[in-house]
Amino acid sequence: MHAVFNFVRGPMAGIAFAVFIIGCLYQMASMWRLARKKDAVVFHYFSLFYALRSIIHWMVPFAALNMRRHPVMTGVTFVFHLCLFAVPFFLSSHAILFKESWDVSWAWLPDGIADIMTLAVMGACLFFLGRRIFLREVRYLTTVSDVLILFCVALPFFSGFWAGQQWPGFPVMTLVHMISGEILLMLIPFTRLRHMLFFPVIRGYMGSEFGAVRRARDW
Amino acid sequence: MKKFKILPYAALFSVFLLAGTMAAFAQENIEIVHDAAFENQTRPPVAFAHDAHNEKAGIDDCGECHHAYADGEKQMGDDSVGMECSQCHYGKPGQGVADLIRAYHLQCAGCHGERKAGPVLCGECHRRR
Repeated sequence: MHAVFNFVRGPMAGIAFAVFIIGCLYQMASMWRLARKKDAVVFHYFSLFYALRSIIHWMVPFAALNMRRHPVMTGVTFVFHLCLFAVPFFLSSHAILFKESWDVSWAWLPDGIADIMTLAVMGACLFFLGRRIFLREVRYLTTVSDVLILFCVALPFFSGFWAGQQWPGFPVMTLVHMISGEILLMLIPFTRLRHMLFFPVIRGYMGSEFGAVRRARDW
Repeated sequence: MKKFKILPYAALFSVFLLAGTMAAFAQENIEIVHDAAFENQTRPPVAFAHDAHNEKAGIDDCGECHHAYADGEKQMGDDSVGMECSQCHYGKPGQGVADLIRAYHLQCAGCHGERKAGPVLCGECHRRR
């Protein structure tokens, strides 16, 4: 138990952060190289103004036509992504772990609010799963990896909630939480979760082409 | 009219007062880790049986936990018994409550991790009742 904890809390956390950061840098560099090779013209018409215009429009709920066409999906996905980012950084236990390890600290969320946000993440994962099962046009595009990724995202939240509530078996669940969280972090650069990195790049690309070349909107 | 008898109540009150005072001053068995600086506790307080813990852990020197520092150096043979942790680890410029929490966690869970004995997970110390 202590040996596993010490490893997961120490070296494995370091490895997970390193793989995440180096993996992200590698992905961005290879995307850059690919663009240079296949679509070099984008570097000429890239415009920071139109890039930011597109990024901001796609970060505001219901600001794009496609979001207004799918209001439920839009609502769920915005709540999901907000909670997905906020809880890992602003949960009191996590903030304290950052403080312990690196002596940096920031304000944290009340535990009750963080609990609700965690439930929201899990609820949204169920919604996405249901969508993949019951919507024909989505089911058609769904592969096993889509379902596995949803599971990988939900597991740290599920086990973290369990550990936080101290339900039976919570010590093991705490270890499951730490390990699944670290695995998820390492998966981000190498699975479709890298849309986290590429979202601004793709929107910047589209925004530049639509704004600076076609003189049109891309939202 | 029945006369109000104060003596039995006074006696009973004295017994509680005495018991309370003894409990407060007895260092034999601290039930809960207490620090006045924790006004609003985020997590449940930590149960801690002082003597049983030290016997099990083989700690004889008070200064091992109640450490005393001067100019960043740990003072061997000196201790800080009777002081609250927050007197050094909280309230100085640039220090927040997170610094006090950090001091407690590194002191307790840090030692447990090194010795591979005792609780290290959040919920193992901060037990919900």
